[in-house]
Amino acid sequence: MDIFPLYLTLKVSVTATFFSVIIGLGLAYLMARKGFWGKGVLDALIMQPLVIPPTVLGYYLLVLLGRSGPLGRFFEDKLGVSIVFTWKGAVIAAFVASLPLFVRPARAAIEGVDRNLENAARLLGKTEWEVLKTITIPLAWRGIAAGSVMAFARATGEFGATLMVAGNIPGLTQTLPIAIYDAVQMGNTKMANILVGIITLFSFSVLYFVNRFTRGRY
Amino acid sequence: MGGGKWRVGSGKTNYQLIALFLASFTTSHILLPISCLSEERHLTVAAASDLSFALKEIAGKFEKDTGIKVILSFGSTGILSHQIENGAPFDIFFAANLKYIDALKQKGLIVPDTSRVYAQGRIVLAMNKKFGGGIKRLEELASPSIRRIAIANPDHAPYGIAAKEAMMRLGLWDKLKPKLIYSENIRQAVQFIQTGNAVAGILSQSVADVPELEYALIDDSLHTPINQAVAVIKTSKAEKEARAFINYVNNPEGRAVMKRYGFLLPGEF
Repeated sequence: MDIFPLYLTLKVSVTATFFSVIIGLGLAYLMARKGFWGKGVLDALIMQPLVIPPTVLGYYLLVLLGRSGPLGRFFEDKLGVSIVFTWKGAVIAAFVASLPLFVRPARAAIEGVDRNLENAARLLGKTEWEVLKTITIPLAWRGIAAGSVMAFARATGEFGATLMVAGNIPGLTQTLPIAIYDAVQMGNTKMANILVGIITLFSFSVLYFVNRFTRGRY
Repeated sequence: MGGGKWRVGSGKTNYQLIALFLASFTTSHILLPISCLSEERHLTVAAASDLSFALKEIAGKFEKDTGIKVILSFGSTGILSHQIENGAPFDIFFAANLKYIDALKQKGLIVPDTSRVYAQGRIVLAMNKKFGGGIKRLEELASPSIRRIAIANPDHAPYGIAAKEAMMRLGLWDKLKPKLIYSENIRQAVQFIQTGNAVAGILSQSVADVPELEYALIDDSLHTPINQAVAVIKTSKAEKEARAFINYVNNPEGRAVMKRYGFLLPGEF
């Protein structure tokens, strides 16, 4: 059996989760601790992928990142990289889809950190960065961990947007969910069963560990 | 893995976890290129899904003869051509309809002298044996016992378009329309009938030969000929190999396979 889809799915979802966590942590902190103009709009924008159909998301990405899209042209002309129909496209789709799943619990967890503790650290002469590093993030750790795992699981299962942005090219952009779709379409029931088994086992263990992490808090 | 070990401390950041995460990030990036195909010579082929059996067989022979690996990506002609317009990295495009190749040619997306008609397809009326099979005429689709009819999406899939034309020609379209289920491509329509989710349907002959189905040819005067065309994509970095593969499909060995799957070949229509 060709294990490429498994490799690719891991590569794509780990990369997407990486960006979701880095960027999402900044966003979660901003949302939890700062008030600024347009906050509600930004919040709604980040949460969009949870409610719009993945195909709509895929369409937006294709229009934006495609050869004739503004971002796509920029990347191709200035940097010489094309995004659509490469694994990078799959990463972007998985990133956008998984970001809200990280930001939500991370934000809630940061909001749950007692501000008195942060202020006490400030009074004791800690810089903002030190407060974040030694007080806020450690205390919000469970939410952040749970968010990361949920984001990872979502990235692994991303299908609709990925199919539109990255296509279905075996050995190049065919992730596990797309390989399943392909196998079912081609009437390859045996392959479909194996892949479905793998992904079910995987998602089950992810959720199991999330529950252990968080002890039923989320 | 005891319960306590995985419990994340409430005061200290879990650096083990961060390390694990970073490690998996880097390993997945180091490991993947090794397993990737970038090293060996290969062709990436976009192909209409009516070719899913025939082209797989031909690609296998081609690989054995030349050592060039062929990666096949099947889909509906309309969707694949849209992907090519958006820069999908294919070397060759086997469309199920000449029109799409011509449109890409006009946009300057294919190597001009490589486009050619490689086959003509036929549509068939197919039915799942479980529901009786043995269907012969399109009019029989109106029978109340046939509750769902699968065809490929007539908006963009060439075999769906031909199916619609045939039904319209016989004045059946309006009557059958409520029972139709559109599949994204022709191979999916086969799957709908194979699984019994649709009782019958209109398919391409090339993919209809599966154990669960019985089919009958539909008179080809009922629809515009399905001239299938192929071309090398402009952005291909393996133009020579791509040309070789197109020639291979039309050489005696390739033709024999195509014929077996019910295609008419250049010189026969």
